[in-house]
Amino acid sequence: MGVFCTIVPPHILDRLARSDDPELSGTARHTLEHDARQRTRRGLHAAIGPTAAPRAGTGPAEPAKGADQPQRTIYDAQHKDDLPGHEIRAEGAKASTDASVNRAYDGLGATFATYLTAYARHSIDGRGLPLNASVHYLKGYNNAFWNGEQMVFGDGDGRIFLDFTLPVDVIGHELTHGVTQFTANLDYQGQSGALNESVSDVFGSLIKQFTLQQTAEQADWLIGAGLLAPGIHGVALRSMKAPGTAYDDPHLGKDPQPGTMDGYVSGSDDNGGVHINSGIPNHAFYLTAAALGGHAWKQAGQIWYDTLTGGSLASNADFAGFAAATLAAAKARYGEGAQYQAVRAAWSTVGVTTAAAGSAELPRQQPGEQTQEA
Amino acid sequence: MRIEVVRSGGFAAIPRRATLDTAGRSDAALLESLARSALDSPGPARPPVPDGFGYVLTVDGREVRCADPGLTPAQRELITHVLHEGA
Ligand SMILES: [Zn+2]
Repeated sequence: MGVFCTIVPPHILDRLARSDDPELSGTARHTLEHDARQRTRRGLHAAIGPTAAPRAGTGPAEPAKGADQPQRTIYDAQHKDDLPGHEIRAEGAKASTDASVNRAYDGLGATFATYLTAYARHSIDGRGLPLNASVHYLKGYNNAFWNGEQMVFGDGDGRIFLDFTLPVDVIGHELTHGVTQFTANLDYQGQSGALNESVSDVFGSLIKQFTLQQTAEQADWLIGAGLLAPGIHGVALRSMKAPGTAYDDPHLGKDPQPGTMDGYVSGSDDNGGVHINSGIPNHAFYLTAAALGGHAWKQAGQIWYDTLTGGSLASNADFAGFAAATLAAAKARYGEGAQYQAVRAAWSTVGVTTAAAGSAELPRQQPGEQTQEA
Repeated sequence: MRIEVVRSGGFAAIPRRATLDTAGRSDAALLESLARSALDSPGPARPPVPDGFGYVLTVDGREVRCADPGLTPAQRELITHVLHEGA
């Protein structure tokens, strides 16, 4: 505890954790909860520095928004359980000899560039939060996750999964969990959890599309393309265009995602099927983007971004509440034209009612305006 | 001793379930020791992290739940033994 006490005293963390501001309190609470051995001086500053210091009156005021450049650091966990591990590549440093390190570095950059260019958002907190990632977590680890402060990537076992840094949409997916944590903070359980997952798939895919400058028609709308080992029968882990069709393999089973409410899965595993039922809002986004055409991050993505960051979405929102909020966001930004109609038709097609649309009005926004600042 | 591991969640959300019985195994003493440690120190209770694996360990009918990245070393080693997959 000694090192981090010199940066932010625990009582300030305590106060922040009780703060009414969900962004501040959530982060501080998480920081307090977090295992001390996973914390570094840099990581703590990353987690609460820019927002906590001015509020607590203990440091110089920071600019409200970060620079237009990311501040990335990639660590090597060296196949162990200790995070973040050894620093390998800091911002601006030359490429490593480790391809995983460089892919993570580039993927963080692609994510930062997409959020900044498309939505004028400075990093995942909107205030220039440094982006940290660890690669080579554990041995043959078949997963990637967001631990509340940083991204963590396994190498895959090489038999079923390859390196989780390979698809840029996986990197974008994990960082978007950070964006959600700092904005709507959707509970990771049941329908709100499936929405949390879906939002990560939506922006993960949009980050890939932005990087490749693809239109909605050109995009593959797959999550995790290139992640499955040779010989595994499948193209990816999820398909937003055709949920339930991404894989069918003896080692993996069959892609269980529904694309409509008819296939909604109840159950307690995976926090109530958050990675299964996300197929329904995923498909609603795809249908909206396909109907509007062009670059999906522009109109469809803007509507979803406004919904996520607008401040009116409850952290326990269900599909109907989220759908209503997307309609309100479409109306606030574009009026009741083609965008509004596309959103309404999409939710109707996947079987989610948007009858309560009037209950979640968003303030009217100007294009490019930051809307989530507390 | 009968040890079962059920894994759910993860980015790919591929469920895994495996069971082993230590009877007659050359590594029975090690596995039973790991299993006792895994049950006795459930680790800190935390909210789930997005895309983290969740595990249910059952040892002779006694159950403990744990999740990445908060596994104890004994839980990690036991899960890796039983699932035969990177954990
Ligand atoms: Zn996720």
